[in-house]
Amino acid sequence: MAIIDPNTLNKKQEYGTSGVNFCMARPAESSNLFVGNSDFKVHQFDAAAEKPELKPIAEEGHSSYVTGAAISRSVLVTGSYDKQLIWWNTDDHSIVRKVPAHELWIRNLISSPTGDYVISVADDMQAHLWSIADGKKIRTLAGHDTQTPHGYPSMLYAVAISADGQFIATGDKVGRVIVWEAATGKQIEQLETPVMYTWDPKARRHSIGGIRSLAFSTDGKMLAVGGIGKIGNIDHLGGPHRIEVFDWQNKERKFEIENDTYKGLVEQLHFSPDGTWLAAAGGDHGGFVSFYGMEDGKELKTEKAPMHIHGMEFSEDYRTLYTVGHGKIAIWELQGELEPLVAPRAS
Amino acid sequence: MVNDQSQFNRRRFLGTMAASAGAVAADMTVLNVLKDPLFAAELKRQQKSVILLWLAGGASQFETWDPKPGRETGGPFGKISTNQTGIEISELMPKMAQQMEQTALIRSLNTKIADHGGGFNLMGTGRRPEAGIEFPDLGAIIARELGRKDSKVPDYVSIYSSTEGRRNGTSGFLGGRYAPMFLTQDVIPPNLSRLEQVSDFDHVERAELRQLLTDRFQSKRQSLVVSSQTSAYQRVRGLMSSERLFDVEEESSSMRAFYGQTQFQQQCLIARRLVEAGTPFVKVARAWWDSHGQNFETHRELCADLDQGMSALLADLEQRGLLENTLVITLGEFGRTPRINPSLGRDHFASAWSCSLSGCGIKGGTVYGKTDPDGNTVAEGEVGAGHLFATIFSALGIDWQKEYHHGSRPIPITDFGCEPVKEVLA
Repeated sequence: MAIIDPNTLNKKQEYGTSGVNFCMARPAESSNLFVGNSDFKVHQFDAAAEKPELKPIAEEGHSSYVTGAAISRSVLVTGSYDKQLIWWNTDDHSIVRKVPAHELWIRNLISSPTGDYVISVADDMQAHLWSIADGKKIRTLAGHDTQTPHGYPSMLYAVAISADGQFIATGDKVGRVIVWEAATGKQIEQLETPVMYTWDPKARRHSIGGIRSLAFSTDGKMLAVGGIGKIGNIDHLGGPHRIEVFDWQNKERKFEIENDTYKGLVEQLHFSPDGTWLAAAGGDHGGFVSFYGMEDGKELKTEKAPMHIHGMEFSEDYRTLYTVGHGKIAIWELQGELEPLVAPRAS
Repeated sequence: MVNDQSQFNRRRFLGTMAASAGAVAADMTVLNVLKDPLFAAELKRQQKSVILLWLAGGASQFETWDPKPGRETGGPFGKISTNQTGIEISELMPKMAQQMEQTALIRSLNTKIADHGGGFNLMGTGRRPEAGIEFPDLGAIIARELGRKDSKVPDYVSIYSSTEGRRNGTSGFLGGRYAPMFLTQDVIPPNLSRLEQVSDFDHVERAELRQLLTDRFQSKRQSLVVSSQTSAYQRVRGLMSSERLFDVEEESSSMRAFYGQTQFQQQCLIARRLVEAGTPFVKVARAWWDSHGQNFETHRELCADLDQGMSALLADLEQRGLLENTLVITLGEFGRTPRINPSLGRDHFASAWSCSLSGCGIKGGTVYGKTDPDGNTVAEGEVGAGHLFATIFSALGIDWQKEYHHGSRPIPITDFGCEPVKEVLA
């Protein structure tokens, strides 16, 4: 079915940028990306241009790192450590509204499959569902502990929604995943991935890690959780990149994947539309793009990336992979064919 | 604020001490002081204490005392106003922001040494090492200057529970008398308790017998060795009686909650108990701030720890009337780089960083020095380690130009060419 071959992954181009590119949103059928940057601005980056470069869409906007971006038709929503969400008109780049959305830093933002609402997650340990149309809060998902077991502030990094829009998954610093029923906000399931969280009780007495990415398979049955494995010296991101894949409705852990060659955080996860492979990207001081087969969890392909990757998105035909990260944007290409299926957006 | 009367009421203790100067005069050091017309001032000086909150590994000045929001180097966190007009600190320190009236910030440290060992030595002793001589660290100097010979509590306590970056303090050429009681495994010092098989009665009897024999021996001989041994025995008995100072369980649950439940926060409470009982120098090391990766996550955790513990400590000291005589310092080996690396970390940086001084002798609500807009260099008022030490000595009423002698060689307690930063002194 999916004959896009991960082994054909090839970096086509890389572009230097200023700052850290934390997130992106790509309009349908477009290579003109909206990119959230550490300069507090939202930029456009037209990968099809002769000389692609970051161009701020406005001088005003957020007042801290832009860490989440989601798009629905002509509306772009961005989220930031400044605790605000901003609705932008993608045509003229005007600000439609600003919403004080959370009590602490917004870590991620995704759009629902229908584009009717966006979901934000933040360090106040809550997820909020927001109407794209009017910016009203639809629902709050609250259930993650605000403190780690060691008495320090926890963080809520990751969110994903199933392709049918039924389920939302959120993942926190200590490795807890909660799956919610989107329509009601009811908790459906809870999964634990404690290896993602390293607490050093003796040498350094603080923690590192956490769940940094989540993705549902297209059929909604599998849930992939990304982060980092146990770290000896938590001064650095010196642990293996780590993925756990669950048959979440049966609470069965299918695979535990660790890659010690390419260390660091798994910042992005994405299932192929037919569920035969899982793409992962992230990094430490450097970066990686990896593909794992979902028959056995084995590595299919890993390529070194030119930067720590924070954002990743495939084109509709899966022949182009866009990645944004620390001081760079890289465009990758893949060979093969793919039946036109709607792919879930992942955090 | 919690109202918790301690049985170690320092004000009452000091009143008693002043009224019984004759008893104090049993100590030869104090006898010399009594000849001095400035006795009152000297006595006051000797009631002062230091609590050093050692931010081991090097905390980021951007995420604590010198935020630069909006700059490429500034990181994601904002700055917040404090209760002192014009002073803003990182949003990660909201509780301290409401208690800046007793605190001065120095934002212009340029100490040049950016490795852990070298930074520890420099910021511990106030000067670069020299071949052939081991300089005493700040704790040893304060113990020497502010400690009382008749004290029943330790003069220099160093608490360093984590293992990373753990380095013992040194009394250098001042000798073992001023070496720290170094606590690493447990906050209650080991081997202080009386052996179970020796009853309290026997313990007292043995001490009296030893004293009787010593007195008889000494009455016919003048020996420094015997005097020293007697002094050591008295000191050990004093230390044994101080065991409960290290036990936070003796505090009310509300007081423990006020400080917070983390290990560092509880150690801040122990520090208060120690200075209240007369310990002149307590170092509480909080490791490990060495955030080469994930600097912002690390500081989100550790600043929450520091903000709660430090703000509670200052409030508690103030309520007990101790803050005017207790200098609370935050300091580490160095700060962290303006550049944010690909692991979203900050690396070692000693060219432009910050520390804080609160309480005794300090002009609160002040900021000294300035870094450039990106925090790469000191723009105004460069301060080195020696200047900082001179400032600390001055704040405590210690003559910063004083000299010790190592053999025949005079050793100034402040490094050559360094003077106090007068702008932060009360």
